[in-house]
Amino acid sequence: MLSNFLEALYHKVIVSIVIKHSSCDVYIELCSKTAVVDSELKTFETTFLDEEMLEFISSYTKESPYSYVSILDMSPDQGAIPTCTKNRLPFYQDLSSCEYKCFDENWTYFTSKSDLYEIEKVYKQIGVDFIFSPFTLLYNFFEDKVSSSLALYILVQDSYLSLSVFANSKLMFAEHLDMETSADDELLSQVMDNDDIDLSETNSIDLDEVDVIDDMEDLDDFGDIEDLDSLEEIDEFSESQDIEEEFLEANESIIESDADSFNEDYQRFSLIQTSLGHFYNDKRYEGEFVENVYIADGVGVSSDLKRYLEEEMFLNVYIRHLDIPIEVCSLAKEELGL
Amino acid sequence: MKYSYITPKKKSVFTQEFQLLLSFFTITILMLLLTYSFLLYKNYTFIQDKQALSLEKTQLQESLLVMEKDIAYIEKQKMLSETIYTKNIVLKDSIANLFDLVPLRITLSEAQLLKNGLILYGITPNKDVYNFMLQAPLRSIFHRTYSSFYPAKNGWYRFVSTNYIDEEEEEVEADE
Repeated sequence: MLSNFLEALYHKVIVSIVIKHSSCDVYIELCSKTAVVDSELKTFETTFLDEEMLEFISSYTKESPYSYVSILDMSPDQGAIPTCTKNRLPFYQDLSSCEYKCFDENWTYFTSKSDLYEIEKVYKQIGVDFIFSPFTLLYNFFEDKVSSSLALYILVQDSYLSLSVFANSKLMFAEHLDMETSADDELLSQVMDNDDIDLSETNSIDLDEVDVIDDMEDLDDFGDIEDLDSLEEIDEFSESQDIEEEFLEANESIIESDADSFNEDYQRFSLIQTSLGHFYNDKRYEGEFVENVYIADGVGVSSDLKRYLEEEMFLNVYIRHLDIPIEVCSLAKEELGL
Repeated sequence: MKYSYITPKKKSVFTQEFQLLLSFFTITILMLLLTYSFLLYKNYTFIQDKQALSLEKTQLQESLLVMEKDIAYIEKQKMLSETIYTKNIVLKDSIANLFDLVPLRITLSEAQLLKNGLILYGITPNKDVYNFMLQAPLRSIFHRTYSSFYPAKNGWYRFVSTNYIDEEEEEVEADE
């Protein structure tokens, strides 16, 4: 009673920290019971909690005892499993050294325990209250879409990709990919191959191996019309918005695209391709054909990625821009019941 | 809905600094209250003491008055006693003088000491003894001396000697 009364007297300070490749975004929101009073987003050129960042965060957190620090988990050893049944979990992943949580009694997301301890240790001075998985963020961001038919959802971060396939709010497949380690792997495999095959050619070979086009033709021949109808019904109001988003994003990205972003986007594309390959080929997953891709763009991808996905993999690509720190903050708010 | 891997720490308004501040304030207020109650107690005892002392003072003043009265009475008694003592000494001296005056051959049977006179009754072998040995010194002391004789059975004389000192003359002497 008294604590509730005292809580109402103070604003809640929600700090969300998102660590990027070489920098760190800190978003701070001051919330009253009903509205957002103030917010500030600041980028620091460090990946650790330095003096400047500590001072910035402290300047807000000292204003209220009700301050919460939330962090997006960056552990490379994280992922999601399409089951919540305890004896089925080891079938997908050894979770003995992992912290895992069941989502909606439907699917499980996990991360390395040591990485959690590491985060808590690094941010000991400010005290971490929430550590969120990118998969929950992705689910939350595309909550209006995941309940519909099967689609691939990708959270694009600075140096990570979080892929998940959802169908009717049920997780089918998920993978968290580190672009740096994956790039090394790719280079290695290229050296091993030791030939100068054009990159586009290798991609087409992969697609052939998967036999996506054939499968699609076989499977969807008779049910095509029905699927289209249902899709239209579900996405009736949001589809136009999606297209708008798509075009806007494309226009912006065309201007911004340069050699670096081209490389990165190509890397992302190849990672998505490989990952989808896993989904189709791994017998543990129900490898249904993916038609739509929803990309939550946290970095500003160029139109190349969209073009690759559309041209090489025949996917319908929808890009929706998001500010990851703000989304992390909204997760924290949801958890706090604000 | 719970998304986070970890549960948030319990937040409270009562942070460590706040608790420290609160405890300091509590201690200060307690000390003030203690001092205040101590002063109240002291004040109460002082008032009690004051009342007791004023009561004692009035009692002492009363006893002082009684004592002063007593002193005055005692002083009076003392003066009286001194007067009596002086008188007694004078009387004693005068009696001693008287007996010194009386020769061995004359026997006194009665002596009346008056304020300004002396009456002696006695027996003398003859009138001469009386006249020479007693009347002569009496005459020198007293202004007026009257003597009368009665013959006794054995041939001796009973005598009555009445002697007076004239006060006027005494006063004149004193004035001189």
